[in-house]
Amino acid sequence: MSGDSVPWALPLSRFAANDREATTLFGELRKPLLRYLACLGLSSDEAQDVVQDAFLSLHRHLSAGGSQENIRSWLFRVAHNQARNHQASYHQRFSDPLDPATGLLLDEATPESALLEKEKFQRLSAAIRTLGSSERECLLLRASGLRYREIGEVLGMATSTVADTVDRAIKKLAEKCNV
Amino acid sequence: MCDFSGKLIAWLDQELTDVEAVEVERHVGHCAECRLAVRSYREISEAFLHCYVETMTAQPGRKPWGWIAAAGGIAAAILLGIVLDQRPAETLAIQPPPPPPAPISAYETPVYEKPVRRAAASMPIVKPQWTPVEPTVEVALPADALFPPGAVPAGFSFIADIRPQP
Repeated sequence: MSGDSVPWALPLSRFAANDREATTLFGELRKPLLRYLACLGLSSDEAQDVVQDAFLSLHRHLSAGGSQENIRSWLFRVAHNQARNHQASYHQRFSDPLDPATGLLLDEATPESALLEKEKFQRLSAAIRTLGSSERECLLLRASGLRYREIGEVLGMATSTVADTVDRAIKKLAEKCNV
Repeated sequence: MCDFSGKLIAWLDQELTDVEAVEVERHVGHCAECRLAVRSYREISEAFLHCYVETMTAQPGRKPWGWIAAAGGIAAAILLGIVLDQRPAETLAIQPPPPPPAPISAYETPVYEKPVRRAAASMPIVKPQWTPVEPTVEVALPADALFPPGAVPAGFSFIADIRPQP
């Protein structure tokens, strides 16, 4: 799904015992977390702060003998909840279309293809804005590589509800974008 | 609308059970409508993923060194936490209590050294260099008893030395 997909079974038993494993875990999950937070509307600095806090919370959680299962969804849930505290910028990123002038998708071979890509992106951005918050969050977590069960753990939803929400959201986007 | 339309996206996401997945796969094989829908859902999913991946790249004011600093900070914090967590395991063993603090010297029990008996031969016998004399007897006589009144200022007295002459 994503090029930054993370392994399903993380070597968490070694996490507390080996600092190199902790660093590896951080390297594997940092980027997906930062992307998710950026899409929720956090600035780069805010996202970094949240990710740092999430990993420190994870370390405290494991040091206190907390469960080592579903650690990926645990991290996303902590980051998600902390992002909720940044209500001022929450949902800003995907609520407002990205500015095409930022250079997004302009690395195409020809100006024509760049223009087409930009139009396509603008349509998609407009369609994303029509989604509800839970639909948007489900798609973001899905794009982060999380399974439906993990998305449900992050958002506090049943797995079947996640499946229905993803299904509904994708169909909305397809309809709006005429794909 | 096809009965399988509600399972197509879950099928793309590999979220169906093996039995369900086989059923959907078989159906999509001979249902043109669902094949078209699957292609549409896959395309929009990839576009969303592209948009999602590019979102962080397009963040304004991004500081490339910020990630390095954050990674270093978190690694250092976790390392510090691990080190701190390991310390109690080493020090939790029962250890003898620390020695009591040294008593204040004012209340310190004095330790007397056993006196060393000096050798009698080393003690010199010192003979007194003075000769005993007779004790002095002094008698105070009021001046009024010796002189007429007014001859001697008030308060004067005389001391007579009555030692026998040697």
